[in-house]
Amino acid sequence: MKHNEYKQLLQLSLYGELKSEEQLILKEHLQSCEECRTELEDQKNLLELISGKKKLNVDEKVLSAARYQLRGALRSEHSNKKFIEPLVFSITQFFTTPLKFAVVGATMLLFGILIGSLLFSESSGEELTMQNGNENRFASLNENINISNLRFIDSDATDGEVEFTFQASRPVRLKGKVNDPQIQSVLTYAMLNEQNPGSRLNSINAMDTKQIVEDDPEVKNALVTVVMTDKNPGVRREAMKLMSKFPYDDNIKQALLYVITNDTVSGLRIEALNSIIEAGDKGYKLDNSELNLFRSTIQKDENPYIKLRSKIILQEYN
Amino acid sequence: MQINDTDLIVQAQKGDQNAFEELVYRYDRNVLSITLKFALNEDDAKDLYQEVFIRVYRGLKKFRFQSEFSTWLFRIATNVCLTYKTKSKEHLKVSINQEYDEDGSEFSYKNELVYDGSSPEEISSDSDLGKLVSVAVDSLSPKQRMTFILKHYEGYKIREIAEMLNCKEGTVKKYLFDAIKNLRKKLSPVYA
Repeated sequence: MKHNEYKQLLQLSLYGELKSEEQLILKEHLQSCEECRTELEDQKNLLELISGKKKLNVDEKVLSAARYQLRGALRSEHSNKKFIEPLVFSITQFFTTPLKFAVVGATMLLFGILIGSLLFSESSGEELTMQNGNENRFASLNENINISNLRFIDSDATDGEVEFTFQASRPVRLKGKVNDPQIQSVLTYAMLNEQNPGSRLNSINAMDTKQIVEDDPEVKNALVTVVMTDKNPGVRREAMKLMSKFPYDDNIKQALLYVITNDTVSGLRIEALNSIIEAGDKGYKLDNSELNLFRSTIQKDENPYIKLRSKIILQEYN
Repeated sequence: MQINDTDLIVQAQKGDQNAFEELVYRYDRNVLSITLKFALNEDDAKDLYQEVFIRVYRGLKKFRFQSEFSTWLFRIATNVCLTYKTKSKEHLKVSINQEYDEDGSEFSYKNELVYDGSSPEEISSDSDLGKLVSVAVDSLSPKQRMTFILKHYEGYKIREIAEMLNCKEGTVKKYLFDAIKNLRKKLSPVYA
């Protein structure tokens, strides 16, 4: 065994990590080796010095603060509470061109309705009278159909007839190229409206292809909305990543600025900040009102890195 | 009688928030202890702590009891810390010792906490020594640093650290050996 290997054994022995046979080997070696005995003392001294820090326990106040923040984050993880109203309020307070985002929101709503009507047109409000010839059609609908919201118009069966309404939906399976407009439309709708964050995330990831990035402004606008409004930080992060692959424009800039000043996750604020810096390096400059946001960030943001980078941005513009 | 981890996990997997919180409180002190030693500041440590438990929360439904919950949890914790370190290096294009003034108008520099040639006798207070040790530990590579923190400060066995870092015990020993070699080099003027 070489000296270097004995040195490793010395170290492990100080941490109580030697097997009994290794301890014996080391003990025998130490009796005959002055250099390793010195080395052992040396390592003991070093570890004693470093162990000064070992006595530090977790401060209860820090633990309480961390738990408090975590509870908030967990609540937002599973909360289904809508927050579109305060969001719209903060956007209108914050941006100089609120109409732009209202238009984007309205477009997305119409888009959603359109997709819904395309996909579920057979089952939405269709009147079926159970007369000769219609039974087979109803039976075929009934195979995979989910029925809900049944409401009676006439529940009195004394005359032999009843009448009611219900909502019916059925699963639809689509398979096709990711740049197919119909596939893209469904994925865009899903990233905006799907309840399950995993599905929203998968929709975004599925569209992460060069062709979509080059071709589709609708997808970009949807991503801008997701970056600013999705309640799940993971979804916002992925949306921001994909959004950054689109050609930089004013909408993207406003979304990034919104994240820097409003997002609760410091990692996302940092990513947005870095994107703004990269865009600045490519010649996309900020105007005075936008620079004021960084002055405010320096004062208000709790993250030292964000404060520092904001300050650098301001210095570069001065 | 205290409910065991397995029962809590099963309840939490069914959506019981209280069970999840109980699980968190069993381990979060250790997680925070690690993130506090690993992060550059307290705020970042709290962010890392939060990130760890959010990942646990999201991943718990897929937890299949193929390892101890604590091993899985600390594996996530070490991954989050190591990722944080990598990101910090990518993002920090200026020295982390640079500091802004409160009004954001002037830059100043913190004391660069490196050995300035003082003799051990001149480094009078424990806090000076503590700072030197902190800087030396902070200067290690992320994996050396994580291994050293888990072994030296948190007292985990090499086998446990290997599980957390998802590597072989020999690799952990190598990280530890290199970490101590580097610490020794940086601190030799004050402990020799």
